[in-house]
Amino acid sequence: MIEKIQALWPEIALFVTACVVMVIGLSPSAAVRRLCGVVTGLGLLAAGALAYTTPAVNPALPGLALYGKAMVAGIGLVLLLLASGTVDREYESFLARGGEGAGGQGRAEYEPLRSTKGEFYAFFLFSLTGLMLTAGATDLVWLFLALELTSLPTYVMVTISSGRDRSMEAGVKYFFLGAMGAATFLYGFAMLYGGTGTTSLGGIANALAAQRAAPGGQINPIAMLGLVLSVVGIGFKIAAVPMHFYTADVYQGASPSVAGFLAFVPKAAGFFALLSLCAAVGWGPTGDTLAEPLRSVLWVMAALTMTVGNALAVVQTSLRRVLAYSSVAHSGYMLVGVIAGPGPAGGGTLMTSGVAAVLFYLLAYGLTNAGSFAVLGCLERVRPDGQAEELDSIEDVRGLCQDRPLLGWALVLSVMSLLGLPPLLGFFAKLPLFGAGLNAGEYALVVVLALNSAVAAFYYLRVAAAAVLEPGQVGRGPVSVRPTTARWRPMAAFVSAAGVVALAIYPVTGWALFGARQGADARSEPAQRAAAEPALPSDPHAASVGATPPAPAE
Amino acid sequence: MLATMGLITGTAAGGAALAAAPGAEALAGAGGVAGVSVSAHGAPLAVLAIALLPLLGAALCALTAPLRLGGKLPAWITVGGLAAAFGLTVLMHSGVSGLAAGEALVAHGYEWIAFQSGAGPGDRFVAPFGFYLDSLTSLWMLFVTGLGCLIALYASEYMEHDVGLGYARFFVAFNLFVFSMACLVMADNLLLLFLGWEGVGLCSYLLIGYFYKKPEAVAAAKKAFIVNRVGDFGLLLGILTIFGVFGTVEYAALFPKLAAGRDALGEPLAAWVGWVVPLLLVCGAFGKSAQLFFYVWLPDAMEGPTPVSALIHAATMVTAGVYLIARMFPAFTLDEQQWVLGLVAASGAVTALWSATIAMAQHDIKRIMGYSTISQLGYMFAGLGVLTTTGAAFHVFTHAFFKATLFLCCGAVMHGFAGQLDLRRLSGVWWVKGWGIIGAAMLVGCLNLAGFPFTAGFFSKDTILAQAFVTPGAAWVGWVLLLTAGLTAYYTFRVFFRVFVGPVEYHPGQDDHGHQGDDGHAHSSQHGHAGGHGHASGQFHPHAPRWAINSVVGALAVLSIAAAATYFVYPQEHGWVGKMVGHSTAAFAAPGEHHSGAHADPHSDAHSTDLRSNGAAHAAALGTFLGFDPHAVMYYVSALVGAVGIGVAYLLHGAGRRTAATAGADGLLRNPLVALVHRGAHRKWYVDEVYHALITLPLWVLGHVLHLVDRLLVDGLVNAVGAAPKLTGGRLRVQQSGVLNGYAVAMAGGIALVVLLVVFMTN
Amino acid sequence: MLSIPPTLAATDVASYLPVLLLITIVVGFAATNLIASALLGPSRQGDIKAMTYESGMNPVGTARKRFNVRFYLIAMVFLVFDIEIIFLYPWAVTFRNLDPSLSDATVWLGRILFFILTTVVAYIYGYRKGVFRFD
Repeated sequence: MIEKIQALWPEIALFVTACVVMVIGLSPSAAVRRLCGVVTGLGLLAAGALAYTTPAVNPALPGLALYGKAMVAGIGLVLLLLASGTVDREYESFLARGGEGAGGQGRAEYEPLRSTKGEFYAFFLFSLTGLMLTAGATDLVWLFLALELTSLPTYVMVTISSGRDRSMEAGVKYFFLGAMGAATFLYGFAMLYGGTGTTSLGGIANALAAQRAAPGGQINPIAMLGLVLSVVGIGFKIAAVPMHFYTADVYQGASPSVAGFLAFVPKAAGFFALLSLCAAVGWGPTGDTLAEPLRSVLWVMAALTMTVGNALAVVQTSLRRVLAYSSVAHSGYMLVGVIAGPGPAGGGTLMTSGVAAVLFYLLAYGLTNAGSFAVLGCLERVRPDGQAEELDSIEDVRGLCQDRPLLGWALVLSVMSLLGLPPLLGFFAKLPLFGAGLNAGEYALVVVLALNSAVAAFYYLRVAAAAVLEPGQVGRGPVSVRPTTARWRPMAAFVSAAGVVALAIYPVTGWALFGARQGADARSEPAQRAAAEPALPSDPHAASVGATPPAPAE
Repeated sequence: MLATMGLITGTAAGGAALAAAPGAEALAGAGGVAGVSVSAHGAPLAVLAIALLPLLGAALCALTAPLRLGGKLPAWITVGGLAAAFGLTVLMHSGVSGLAAGEALVAHGYEWIAFQSGAGPGDRFVAPFGFYLDSLTSLWMLFVTGLGCLIALYASEYMEHDVGLGYARFFVAFNLFVFSMACLVMADNLLLLFLGWEGVGLCSYLLIGYFYKKPEAVAAAKKAFIVNRVGDFGLLLGILTIFGVFGTVEYAALFPKLAAGRDALGEPLAAWVGWVVPLLLVCGAFGKSAQLFFYVWLPDAMEGPTPVSALIHAATMVTAGVYLIARMFPAFTLDEQQWVLGLVAASGAVTALWSATIAMAQHDIKRIMGYSTISQLGYMFAGLGVLTTTGAAFHVFTHAFFKATLFLCCGAVMHGFAGQLDLRRLSGVWWVKGWGIIGAAMLVGCLNLAGFPFTAGFFSKDTILAQAFVTPGAAWVGWVLLLTAGLTAYYTFRVFFRVFVGPVEYHPGQDDHGHQGDDGHAHSSQHGHAGGHGHASGQFHPHAPRWAINSVVGALAVLSIAAAATYFVYPQEHGWVGKMVGHSTAAFAAPGEHHSGAHADPHSDAHSTDLRSNGAAHAAALGTFLGFDPHAVMYYVSALVGAVGIGVAYLLHGAGRRTAATAGADGLLRNPLVALVHRGAHRKWYVDEVYHALITLPLWVLGHVLHLVDRLLVDGLVNAVGAAPKLTGGRLRVQQSGVLNGYAVAMAGGIALVVLLVVFMTN
Repeated sequence: MLSIPPTLAATDVASYLPVLLLITIVVGFAATNLIASALLGPSRQGDIKAMTYESGMNPVGTARKRFNVRFYLIAMVFLVFDIEIIFLYPWAVTFRNLDPSLSDATVWLGRILFFILTTVVAYIYGYRKGVFRFD
């Protein structure tokens, strides 16, 4: 049992950091409180470094844990830049002013009850801990607990993200609907256990394979119903139809920084869980299709999710709702990769492996999306009465490229990448989904994907056009958009924009392939598996894509 | 940028640093194609840096703008970076020149693009970021980085009127250009070449449109970009065809297949490959190198700052077409008939003559140089077409130096005389104080261009001319080129006699650049006569070039003389350039040439019969020049033709001239026939008008028709389609009421539906 | 990992009949009660009747009344320690019977120590937050 800890060093690092942050966030000294963000970042760095110690725990997807943890640590750093300064900014500056103005009189003492800084960062870390645990899950109970550890802190983060009623309403909605989603997949897990007699994913895989191999060749209906309920329940985490209803309200109610967090963390957790479950079912002996009712359910979910997300995004005027529904649509795209599966046995390339495509898409989407929300988070609108409020409408980014070129172009880059425009990261992420879908023979679904990508251009280009083509607003009339005082947030936008350009050039794709390494062949060849297990990606590029040097002449 | 670089070099260090494909034993046959051998020469990291240094320079220059680092910092960054790149290129050259003929080094950076669609041969598309280094690469890179560095130094002074944001913008594009050019030349696969190809096109666009407030400059930039698109499309199709047929775009794998005449599956090639592939490639080359039907963008491109005209539109970028054909020469010799090469030769010869006639009647000296560039590019293409890759490459090499000299001299004049470029309003510039070096350099450049004996231009032009007469069936090309040589000498010295010698007289141009910062003179339309004529009004003082311009122009003049010396080293291999070309994939034994090295003088053995059996030429069919051996007599013939051209120019434009505006030619122009021809040539043979009538106008009309169709029909459809999601969204939005209960019920309903679906399906 | 022998877990649909029965009873009970009370009960509406139920306290009144927020904090802290006790009891009972020579014994001890550590962190957090200050 003790060896299990060896697979958990990154999580332990994050957990310890969370405990530390929780305590120092309540320090009476402002200097110590200010360290919260730095300590969180150090914790993430440590976790990222420790992620490379992760052994292959999940027999069906041996690379998933390592890839997931490393990716979470990386994207987590960008999200941290984005999340910095979400809470307590006004309170800290009120204290720094010595408590003057805004109803205060004279010297102000620090009141821990009014501060939520430590809690915010701690919850941030707890949620990422849960996400890493999800990536390494080998058991249904573990998977459930990890998923909930990912989600529970986010409910609180939404609620405290801004002091406004809207956040609290959003938090409550998110919590109740989230509980419903969790209940659904917990019920599914229970039935899965009932249908296979084990909670271990490896055991489930063996049991399901035995059921299919038996004469009659069907997965037990109880197990299948459990699988389907699990998939639908996890659909809440990835905001897939029919569990998508909360998305827009919650993203709009939360502050942009937390919305950016929500768009990546639960979604990544959901996809890690979906991949683990589907890997347990197996994409068939030739890696082509999932067992039948499950495939149909996923198929319908994917098609509906894309279509509903895009259709709803088209009619929005609120930029945050647009991004929320686009987030729904992106989940639909990624479900195509889940359906497609790992491609031909022996490890496909990025163009044939749906699993690798999903994993790479998660990375691309997380990075890009953090950028677009960061731009929103960097700005606030000044109302006529002098109060500042968060940016919401597409109108607010009009002429941004002229007024604030760096932020404006960062927004345009991230939106174009979300759209999947060729030279950017989003394109290189979306292309493999097409390839994997075609390779798996899901032609109809790929057509739906293509049509939806075209529809998506409508609203993404609207945002980009507002930022690029419209004249600047500075010096034209009283309504003005100004930067917030959050100092690190622009960095998130710039890092994301740089990543969107740079990662498209540098082949991180090979890295995603490592994560998608298929367990099927490893399972059939014990010797190979033993050889594969300690294989750490000292050179992930060479390990996957670059196996062939430039084709030598014969 | 820095991070990317780190990643790249990191990969290179850790991964496949020096990948190479095995040597090619059986490939010494027709065409002599490179195999690739493993060799420890040339550190790959340094090679990558040749391209990455300018990229870094671009990033740094871009940074100076927001950081408000004023002054000439961007120029010094550029000069420093390019000097370092040149140094590395020299090192690379020393590494590459140690290779045996047909060998190359491949520096494999990282896998830039890799897709796999199956397991068979040709199912894997790989385009690495890697460099293919052989002597052809090295030859091109030497003058790209060398000239780039010198011209950047020149530009540091030339662009000083724009110090600030514009200065940074200029040098960012300048650096980016050198980066793209390096990618184009050093690429180890056709896709990376295409990236560089598009990159230089983009930088050309950016730099032509540098004075973006000037409508002509913007229009010229657009024209250059759009005309190039047409050619680039052909090139792209060519690359795709090559991948389709050979299953690879990497040179190291492609050349052996080309040499063996086998496709991806090892089958013999279909006949169409032999002409479709070269034709598509030529399409791209014609666009980039401004050959006939595509050339119209290049004269207009002279709207850009002069250093750009010198570097991009004379010395380097426009020779990319020559490079492409030379690099892919094995593809051109696939076909027995090689009629694509015939097309190249014909097109080159016609272009040379055509634009030379236009150049004769222009008044704007920079435009004359522009047309002259087109004409000289025509020579190079004709050289390729008549199978002397050596001659073409040698002419590229010498032309780079003397044309850069000429442009930079014109630029100095433009800079000093407030944008004046009209040869009727400038005279005796050499005699103005401070213009000695420019005048002397101009003379050197003009002599080279005119093909005056013992200049570099003389030798390189001769190689092409002589070969044109030798290669069977190309004699008419030779005659056209010979006529062009005379015209070239005439228009070149027309400029020289009108502008640089003669009575001193100058009128400032309309352009006031260069006078805001340093001398601040009022310069109205009043003109001043100075110096010899003595009645200087004192309102306008030309400012003489300072050290940067003088030293660069002087250095280039010296180099363009020195380039002649390279003709005499390695005599067995037709000079230094001949050796470089002969060791690369462009190596091809032109009819009548030989590579045995038995004779010390390469030109006395033109009738040597040791021919490669390439099917196109037989010893018996070799041409002669009026019964003489072309290689032997061409020196005298072309010298004579050049001298006649210069003499005519002196008679018409030099002798007895009193003012800038008049010359002996004026009398000739009173003849109505001459005047008619002159007007035609002056209006560029109305090609722009014809293009407008034949292409632009129909397109414009079609555009408006389509616009109407679009508005009425397509928009209707699109709106209908667009309304569908909106309508759906509107319907769906009703459910997004924001009420918690509603959401919960909807989710529960969804779950119930799914469960029903499963129960229905399992039973 | 924990795995109960498949004989214990029912793979047979029929064995889930009790579960279905339970669901039916639960839903039926709730529905019956609601319907019955609606049908049978007298429906007298009034202001007091419609008032929110707040543990017997009067939910409507002056907002100026002093209202100590620490009541809730204490309740929360109680919950934390309450759950700790709940977890500690079964552990302690089982641990007593564990063979000390087993290597698993230290693991068991380590687990509960880690659990207590988290409680300590919660305690420090509560202390820092000022939950234990009554001034």
